Order: sequence, then structure tokens, then C-alpha cells
Amino acid sequence: MSYSTTKRSLEIELISAEGLKVDRKPVKRKTFCVVRIDEKSKNSKLDEPGGSYPVWKDKIEMEMPVNGSVRFISIEVLYRTGGGVEKSVGHAKIPVTDFMGGFAPQGHLNFLSYRLRDEYGDKSGIVNVSIMVKPEGRDIKYSSPSPSMVVPADYAACSSQAAAAANGQMWTSSSQAATVGYGRRVVTGVPVWCAYQRPF
Amino acid sequence: MGNCLSGDVEGGKQAIGGVQQRPTSTTTNNAAHNDAVDFFFRSRGQFPLFSQIELSLSASNLIDRDITSKSDPMAVMYLRKKDGKLEEIGRTEVVLNSLNPKWIEKITVSFQFEAVQTLVFHVYDVDTRYHNVPVKTLKLKDQDYLGEATCVLSEIMTKPNRSVTLNLAGNFGAGVSRKLGTLSVQAEETVASKTVVEMDFRCVNLDNKDLFSKSDPFLRISRIVENSVAVPICRTEVVDNNLNPVWRPVCLTMQQFGSKDTPLVIECFDFNSNGNHELIGTTEKSVAELERLSLHKEVARFVYPSTSHGRNKVLKGQLIVDRFVEKVQYSFLDYISSGFELNFMVAVDFTASNGDPRTSSSLHYNDPSGRLNSYQKAIMEVGEVIQFYDSDRRFPAWGFGGRIADGSVSHAFNLNGASYGDEVVGVEGIMTAYASALHNVALAGPTLFSHVVDRAAHIASQSLSQNNPKYFVLLIITDGVLTDMAGTLDALVRASDLPLSVLIVGVGNADFKQMEILDADKGRRLESSTGRIATRDIVQFVPMREVHSGQVSVVQALLEELPGQFLSYVRSRNINPVGAPPAT
Repeated sequence: MSYSTTKRSLEIELISAEGLKVDRKPVKRKTFCVVRIDEKSKNSKLDEPGGSYPVWKDKIEMEMPVNGSVRFISIEVLYRTGGGVEKSVGHAKIPVTDFMGGFAPQGHLNFLSYRLRDEYGDKSGIVNVSIMVKPEGRDIKYSSPSPSMVVPADYAACSSQAAAAANGQMWTSSSQAATVGYGRRVVTGVPVWCAYQRPF
Repeated sequence: MGNCLSGDVEGGKQAIGGVQQRPTSTTTNNAAHNDAVDFFFRSRGQFPLFSQIELSLSASNLIDRDITSKSDPMAVMYLRKKDGKLEEIGRTEVVLNSLNPKWIEKITVSFQFEAVQTLVFHVYDVDTRYHNVPVKTLKLKDQDYLGEATCVLSEIMTKPNRSVTLNLAGNFGAGVSRKLGTLSVQAEETVASKTVVEMDFRCVNLDNKDLFSKSDPFLRISRIVENSVAVPICRTEVVDNNLNPVWRPVCLTMQQFGSKDTPLVIECFDFNSNGNHELIGTTEKSVAELERLSLHKEVARFVYPSTSHGRNKVLKGQLIVDRFVEKVQYSFLDYISSGFELNFMVAVDFTASNGDPRTSSSLHYNDPSGRLNSYQKAIMEVGEVIQFYDSDRRFPAWGFGGRIADGSVSHAFNLNGASYGDEVVGVEGIMTAYASALHNVALAGPTLFSHVVDRAAHIASQSLSQNNPKYFVLLIITDGVLTDMAGTLDALVRASDLPLSVLIVGVGNADFKQMEILDADKGRRLESSTGRIATRDIVQFVPMREVHSGQVSVVQALLEELPGQFLSYVRSRNINPVGAPPAT
């Protein structure tokens, strides 16, 4: 991609989570979120009243290299015990293609939701975030669609490749990263439903 | 049940009615819900003979099906159709541990003056282990049955106080006759209004009602209707162990609170898992008064109603409104009439599962006598509606699952056969393109939706990058037999954050179970194989056989969810109608 710099600034809002569970029981503690890009990480503030349906609405800004070295950003939800110990509820990996390139034009505010899985690969809730890639100084907002979308005729091929690539990356990297059956459990290809609370 | 005391009371502690959790959610009382249908009819001089009615339910003296605690009741309302079958209209929330529940969730039904609408109410005791589950997904056969009651809607509407009390009846095996309690139904006509108020409430110095810890307070807001009955409209979440609680923002629509001068009863309770929530204090304020409180940084004192002296005891506890914002919530029609464009795209199923076009049983039957086949009928009926709402009547039209001229199977070919340019004009354009495709394309397979969904998503995303006020609707006309469920889910989830809805129109009589899964109506969000979850519900499934059997009109069926899906997109992004002043 023809970016002048190798880093882009991301505005990430950690909005909320739904149905957080630890050992199949709803979380009742204070929860917070950690975003990791490359080696760097940032925390959201703690949510106290929400329990298993926390609302953080916390905006953070992070830089992301765009030279292809970062293909995922990771989000982990943790809770704090009464003694101040921090324990993991679950984590999710966000492929960069979900908010850059693909269907997301530049400057688009992406509302994204992901399934959280705990260290055993079991479902432990859903996390809702929004991500905006801040336009570079010289870029006009919504100026140019990403290269993969310029030629409409090639589009279908591009997109399915991109999707396939994203999937491929997902599996290889997740099975490398987590040895404890994470990849195996995810690649079912069967829609598996998990109940979530509808807001009324 | 029985383990109610063991701690899983989370479900009972959540807020109901007017406290938003997901940024992309629309309020359940969507005033614009039938606007789109209304507008369609009115434009042709047909005024719909119905009005929207909101029913509030309450029950008393329900039977107890739990051993160590009380029942956790939920009511389900059905409409009895002509053939005697019950069609579910709506469900209330689950009230924890109560034999005299007052449900907050309202059930909306359109009152048709000329029809006899028989309503059937079923009351269930919902097992504790389902308490964290959205009520729409509950399987009713897993729940304990508490009885049922029936009445005719016009019966309620003609009563002076617009309410009826019905005796619950039920079959509990041979020879068992028990008093099952009563169910009261209160009806109100809904007011379509755009005003919404958002308030941040907190309290200080609440009385302590718990022995070993502090109170667990929550607020319940009720509106006093004409006959001085208080109808609860919203409840905040429970703040544990706190005498100075701060609650999440409460968002009330004018539909909920009536007018700014309607008195509202605000009660503060101490949450008890056994259902005996103890009243801490109560105060009566209209929305206008609450606004004044916030403006002048004043407080409202809670009082405790006294039964013996007739004088209420004024308490130390105070209610504070930290923030009061009045917003205008635009309706679907506000957007459309301001110049927000709807653009439809059409994709037709050319897979072999539809049957050989030469046989008369085929859905694609090429009738020499010129009679329309199932697809043509569907295109004609659906086309009339989308043509009305599409701004330029130009539709990109594709086919999928067919073997095209070069001998390859394509999952997104141009219906008009052109190698470049997929747009056709009007319903006639779709019909002509369809007829030519039927001649030039051989039915093949497999059935993949993902290519057409991706193509639609691409168009939507391009329009987005040009910052156009446009919303897209992909219409897939199919026999409903899907080969690649996982791929379709992935494509739909990928597209769920774009200004796009997918309307799947099912023709024929195949098993539409897969389509129902894609239509994430039952409160479940679609999940892709990569673990991404659909940002919002963008799919609606319309089986044509229901339209043809006269159960719903094609307009109603098609436009049922579209306004809501559209609004969930624009509202989550604070997009206003074109030229409208920005919301505060």
C-alpha cells in the first residue's frame, strides 16, 4: 500500500462486552480490556457495575505499523479480583483486514464485534469495539479506496482472496500461538450459537 | 428451579426498557416500525385501517411452580389465526420471584378495526438457568406452564379504561382444578414521536434496608395513565451494596413517557433475590420537572408512603438528575424524505435444485403459454415495492449458480447477459433480463450466496468511500437450499458493518431452516468462522408462500425489518437526515 509513513494511528473505542463468563459462570467482578498491537499494549478503564455486561466506552489511540508485519491486533478482557489480582476472561484476535482494506474505506468508523475465547478455546463472551484508522495528514477523508477495490472487475477475485488470506492467516497464526486446542476448536465451519443478552 | 438462592440472580438485576447497552441497538419500541408500510399505502391513496396498540401486562396470584422460591413468570402473546394456529406476537421480560408480576416490556400489536383479532396469552415460569438468555431465544417447551387466557382485542379497546382482567386457565392433568390467578391487559394507543430524553440518575443518602450489608438499589419509573393506574415503563440495573448509587443513562421515548407533563412515579427499591424488593422511597415527577431539577441542580426528596396517618414520611434520600438531554430521534421516513437514497440490487438463484425449466414443476418453468413461473411472480410482486422505494429504479441484477455462455459456473453473473454493466431499469428490466438469462444460462450448482453478498458489499463500501447518503438492499430470490452455509455466514458478517441489508425471498416449498438461521431474528448474532460477530442484524427472510397464503401482504413482509436495520446503521453512527441539524 502506498502510505508515506509505515505507521498509522488507530482510534480504538473499547465499547462493551456481553455475556462474559469464567468457568461457565457469569463474571461479577470489575472488568477491563487490554489491546495489544505488536509489543505495545494499552488498558481500558475498569467497569464496576456491569458485571458480565460491562460498558467501558473508553477511547484509546495506538499506532500500528502498516508494512505488513502486523496482521492482527489482540484484545483481552480481564477481571480484577477482590485482592487486586488480574485474571483473564478471554481474548479475541482482530484481523487488520477487518478495518483496513477489504470493505472498509479509509476514515470509516468500523463497529466490530468478536467472540472471546478463554485459554481452553471455550467461548467466554463477546466484545464490541470500534476502530477508525485516522486519515493521514495529506489524505483527504474518504479519498481513495484501498488498492484492492479500485478495479471493479477484479473485485470478486480480490475479495475472496483477501478473505481466504485472512482466514489462512487466522488459522496458521492461531494454531502456532496457542497450542491448547484453540485453532482446532475454532475451525469448525459450523455456525455455533451462543446466547447473548439483547439490550432492552 | 430451587437454586434461586444460590446466587444466579444476574438476569433479574439487569435493566429493562430504556437502558441501552449495545451501541448499535435500536430501541425496542421502534416508532418507525410500520412507517415504511404506511407510506407505501398512503402514497397510493390507501389509508391503512389500523392503529398501533401497546399492551401492558400484569398478573396476580399466579401459581408457584418452584419449590424453594416463587415462580419467575414471563408472558407470551399470540394471535390466533383463521386456521386456529397461534402466531407469536411478542414476549415480556422475566420477572424474578414474583406471583404478582408487572411486566415492563410492552407488546405492540396493530389493531385492525374490521377484523376479529383473538389474542392468546400464555404465562410461563422460566427456569433460573435461562435467566441470562434473551427471552426471544427461550424454548417454551422447556419452561413450566402457568396458565393461559384468551380475549379479543376489540374487547379491550371498547372498555372505558381500556383494560381487562382475565382468569388464567390451564390443563394440569386429570382432575386437577386449581385457581391459576388472573392476567390483566392494559391497552394504549402508541404515539409516534421523535422526542427522546436521556437522563443520568443518581441517589444519595438512601436508607439502608439490608441487615449485613448495604441496600442494592434500583429505580423503577412508571407512568400514570388516564385511570390513575401506574404502568411501569423502565427499570434501571441494580447497583450492589451502595447507598449513593449511580446508574447508567436512562433513555425514554415520548412513546414511553407520554407527554412532558405526564406525572411519572419514580420508585427506588432495594433488590432482593427472593423477589420481595423493598421500597426505599418514592417520588412523583414529570419529565418537565426532571429537566428543571437537572437545570437548577436541585434534588428531589424521596418520601415513604405511610398507610396509617395518611401523611408521607419525607426521607433523607435524594434523587439527583446529573444530566438531562432531549434528543430528536429521526424516523425511517425522515431519512428517506430528506434525500437519503435506498438502492436495491437483485440476485436470482439459477441452481439446479429449482428443477428443470422444461418441466412444469420447476420453479423456473418456462411456460410456453406465457404464464409466470414462481420466480417471475416473486420478481413482479417484490419489484413493485422496491421500485417504490428505490430512488432511480436502476437495479444491479445478477444470477448465481448457473452455467453461463463460456461453460463455467458463475456465482455472480450479470442477469442481462452483458459482460460489462449489470444495471437494469425497473421491474420490466429485471423481468426481461431474467427471461434472457433463462434462455442462455443452464441451471447448475452449488448454491453460494457469498459471491453476490460480496459484490453487494463492494458496491456499498464504494459508495461509503464517496461519502454518499445511500443505503443498499440486496434482494436474493432463492429456493432456499444453500450449499455453503459457512461461506455465506462469513460474507454476511463481513458486510454487517456496511450500509447494507440483505432481503432473502424464498420461493417454492423447500425447507427454509437454513434461511431462518441467517435471519438472526431470535436474538442471536451471526458468527463467522474467524470468530467475528455480525455488528448488527442485516438479514431478513421472507417466504413467498406466506405471502401467497394471505398471511401477510408482500409490502409488510418485505418492509418488516428494513426500517429497523436502516436505523440501527444510521443511529449508531450519529448520521442525521440530509440537511437536518446535528443532534445534540
